[in-house]
Amino acid sequence: MKTKSKFRKKDLAGWLVMVPSLILFAFYIWQPLIENIRLSLYTAKRYELVEFVGLDNYVRAVNSPDFMAAFSNTFEYIFWSLLIGFLVPIIVGILISETVHFKGLFRVGVYFPNIMPSLATVWIWSFFFTPGDTGVLNILLGKLGIEPLMWLTDPDMTIPLIIVSMTWKSAGATALIYMANISSINADLYEAATIDGAGIWQRTRYITLPSVFGLAKTLLILQVISVFQILQEPMVMTNGGPNNASISIMMLMYRYAFRDFNFPVAAAISVMICLVLVLLSGLYMKLTAAKDE
Amino acid sequence: MKKRLLVTLLASVMILTNLAGCASDGGDTATNEDEPVVEERAVEEPAVEEPAEEPAEEPAEEPVTVTLGIWPEDTLVEDIAVHEGFVATLAETHPNVTYEPAYYRYAVDTFMPMVESGNVPTIFEAWFTEPQKLIKQEAVADITDQLAARGWLDAISPAIKELLSDANGRVYGVPRDAYALGLMLNVELFTEAGLVDDAGYPLYPTTWEDLAEKAVIIKEQTGAAGLCLLAKDNSGGWHFSNIAWAFGATLCVDNGDGTFTSNLASPEAIAAMEYVKSLKWEYDVLTADPTNEDWGTGFTALGTGAAAMYIGANDAVNQPTQVNGLPLESLALCAIPAGPGGQFSLMGGTPYMFSKDATPAEIEAALDYLVVFGKSPEVTEASIAGMRADNQNKADNGVPIIPRFACWVGQDILDAEAQIIEELGNVDTGMYQSYFDATKAGGLRTEEPGLTQDMYAELTKVLQAVLTDEDADTAALMETANSNYQALLDAM
Amino acid sequence: MFFDKYKEKKDGAIRGYDIHSPSVKLLSVILVLICLMIVAVCAFPAVWVLLAGFKDIREFRNDVTIFPSSFDFNKLKETWDALKFQRYYLNSLISVAGCAAAAILFNGLMAYSLGALRPKGYKLAYGLVMWSLLIPSITSIVAVFRNINMIGLNQSFVPIWLAFGANAFYVVLFKQFFEGIPQELVEAAQLDGGGVLRIFTMIMIPLSRPIIVVVAIFAITAAWSDFLLPYLVLNGSGNETVMVKLFSFKDTPTDAVSVLRAVLFSIIPPTLIFAVFQRQITDGAAVGAVKG
Repeated sequence: MKTKSKFRKKDLAGWLVMVPSLILFAFYIWQPLIENIRLSLYTAKRYELVEFVGLDNYVRAVNSPDFMAAFSNTFEYIFWSLLIGFLVPIIVGILISETVHFKGLFRVGVYFPNIMPSLATVWIWSFFFTPGDTGVLNILLGKLGIEPLMWLTDPDMTIPLIIVSMTWKSAGATALIYMANISSINADLYEAATIDGAGIWQRTRYITLPSVFGLAKTLLILQVISVFQILQEPMVMTNGGPNNASISIMMLMYRYAFRDFNFPVAAAISVMICLVLVLLSGLYMKLTAAKDE
Repeated sequence: MKKRLLVTLLASVMILTNLAGCASDGGDTATNEDEPVVEERAVEEPAVEEPAEEPAEEPAEEPVTVTLGIWPEDTLVEDIAVHEGFVATLAETHPNVTYEPAYYRYAVDTFMPMVESGNVPTIFEAWFTEPQKLIKQEAVADITDQLAARGWLDAISPAIKELLSDANGRVYGVPRDAYALGLMLNVELFTEAGLVDDAGYPLYPTTWEDLAEKAVIIKEQTGAAGLCLLAKDNSGGWHFSNIAWAFGATLCVDNGDGTFTSNLASPEAIAAMEYVKSLKWEYDVLTADPTNEDWGTGFTALGTGAAAMYIGANDAVNQPTQVNGLPLESLALCAIPAGPGGQFSLMGGTPYMFSKDATPAEIEAALDYLVVFGKSPEVTEASIAGMRADNQNKADNGVPIIPRFACWVGQDILDAEAQIIEELGNVDTGMYQSYFDATKAGGLRTEEPGLTQDMYAELTKVLQAVLTDEDADTAALMETANSNYQALLDAM
Repeated sequence: MFFDKYKEKKDGAIRGYDIHSPSVKLLSVILVLICLMIVAVCAFPAVWVLLAGFKDIREFRNDVTIFPSSFDFNKLKETWDALKFQRYYLNSLISVAGCAAAAILFNGLMAYSLGALRPKGYKLAYGLVMWSLLIPSITSIVAVFRNINMIGLNQSFVPIWLAFGANAFYVVLFKQFFEGIPQELVEAAQLDGGGVLRIFTMIMIPLSRPIIVVVAIFAITAAWSDFLLPYLVLNGSGNETVMVKLFSFKDTPTDAVSVLRAVLFSIIPPTLIFAVFQRQITDGAAVGAVKG
């Protein structure tokens, strides 16, 4: 780094350039984070704080009949997203990397779902998962002679299917990242392995996979962070049902805030979510920092 | 690394705390400057006007702008034309008032944000479940004085007035109309299933057991679902409470001292839930996915012939017909079936409410609009014309014209209305006979007291469980719902 | 020849010299087929929306078919007119344009300072930005919304635009790029007496066209899809965007076919943009996430 010196005019200019952006960050992200903590400790009438109540709102949130469901569902979402959402892009990335024809088409094709607005995909998939014989997937199954399935209506399937729809949307974009990573692998490694008698599967297993491992680690945490905030998918597709089988912690927060207008309890839930995210982010920072060095 | 993180974190907390301080200080002053909406500044003083019969006669009044959240939605072109007629009428008598269309459909999750931002239309329709919540949050205007001056206060039927008042008897809304739930029938499907009498009237079910059996016949004969049952959102619990009453259940007990006792796990309530469960697993007469059906899709199912029966109210007859294309003559409405506990019809209604930011002058102008719209207790030439225009428009759009439930007690307004309905009636009243007979016979019942929406939410969860799991333990689920609901009631 | 192309293959476990073996030939054909299937799965939902958009409500609710009974464009037009979709398109356009501009300007300036000027203590700001990358503002939506109300900007596009000016991800993208611009260029300009803003407009911006395009495309697609804050801020204002309309369907009784057609309308603009900029977008996707 530069030699240490006192605050110069150049530094001032640098900070001045940042000021408008800093204000925006403060307005949209930093201040609301702090404000949420304050709000969570009070009762409120509409948005006005009324009375300091300590941790009462946290107690109320945790005692809500839906809290345990939302809490455990969130981990179930994470579990399935690791099982499905995490592996699929790696596989797709490797598959496409191994082809030479239509590569442009494959890249564009798998990325396409990612440019679709998430609300649009949520709506489309809720039509796909319609039970009964007029649901889209059931129509397709019917052509194969398979009986209609219950899809989202089966409480055991709700979360995995929501994850499938999310994976459909995001896997292609992630696969492209893996592809970039794979194409940067030193070709000599493969050639050396070939000379040692390694077949294609062994080369994939011992060269390609270890090479994407570092990237996969960081993407994994990013994924956990994003799945932790899952909201519109269950909200539109199942409204959290059946019988809370898919309600997420963010959805619970949204209900408190915008259905019951109970902003303090909503804020308390937000604060809890943020605490978890801070922990996860710390982990992420640690991993990326380790990679940088 | 660790140290750097820690330092960053500490520093950020410090900075943020400072920022937070600044922002909220700055914010408060900004609020004061910014809160009132532009047009309100003009008329800060409770205007001089007498509660006038003809407010327009007073010269040189301050300009007033009224935003009409009760404007029809974009797709209802003919309805809009009718309302444009009202605005034109008012332009003559109220030259100082600008009536601005602002179609607003009450949505729970954006209402409070709109209140905060001062963007609630001057007048809007809420649901009958909402007034108490909105009154408690001080999100709507107190219109007691305006109503008193007009003499409307005593014209509202007392049961409904209570739903629109706070603990001190201040009134916050004007009833649009009242409704009672009934059972809507798709006559095409009943005919196809052979369930009609010699005159062609559907053989409607009189008991819930009867309903299940008829539904089976319909499903066998037509392939369509017998009944569309809701289980997606709170409307599921809402409909269920009416079924539960028929089985003799009372779901919530008002202890009279401001506390309530949840009663969801009574044998009657459990029997009602068992009945619903049997509709799915024993009779198998429901639409494919009740957990995906809500108020709107239910009407679609009925209107498009995907289901033959659906719980619906007299004020929603436009939904299957105008909105979903069911021919006028193919809709029938019968009484909610009876059960071992008797026959009950859940009664409620739709209130007009007013933005908390509305000035008295704006409220007056909005009430004048209701007069011209024919939704007031006043019988004047304009109000009759409005009522007629409204009904004529319904007739033109294939909406059945049937009596609404009286929300006003004045006999002259009821007579005027009856006459117009007689004149414009476009349906065979036989298709609605049992519904009106039943609702006149008593059995009308308002919603359960005490955090009703939370109760519906709990019931809906049980509905979802029993409709998706054949082995669900109904009693245990109701027990859980009962204790959840009681916990919420205790925390009130 | 189909297999000759493998000679040029540069990455992956299958190398050009493997292709002589028949089993590898078979494998490579299978791989192509699998990838074609994956692409089909990716494309099918969008194709289905188009097909189903031509069904009427009875057909949609009762018929067990994928294809509509007829392709009548008037049906689409009816829904377009009935929902007044033109207005939502226009609102979305206004919103998207402002968001993209804010995203480039504010995040670009921030990154310019963090990546090129590096004033004393800049690491603090960068640390804060990095943290906000991971804790998105949606978690504190209540407080954000309260802030917007306090400064009286509700029901206007301004807060929606400015929200894109505080995006840590774009800052990181810009910063990485600016760091790649030789520091000597900046220093030389400073010696010539150029002010910081002058350097920004005269040197950084012209050199940064590729990254500006990437951020612009990201911001445009993100702004088009954004719904939660717009819903809370714009609902009922007459400024509703396409996504606000789509989101409000969740509790407005609307027939399924209208919803479906609205979904169709909502995916047309991003699809067109993607068709035009597919290269930049797919390349950008990889660039953006390398650091994450």
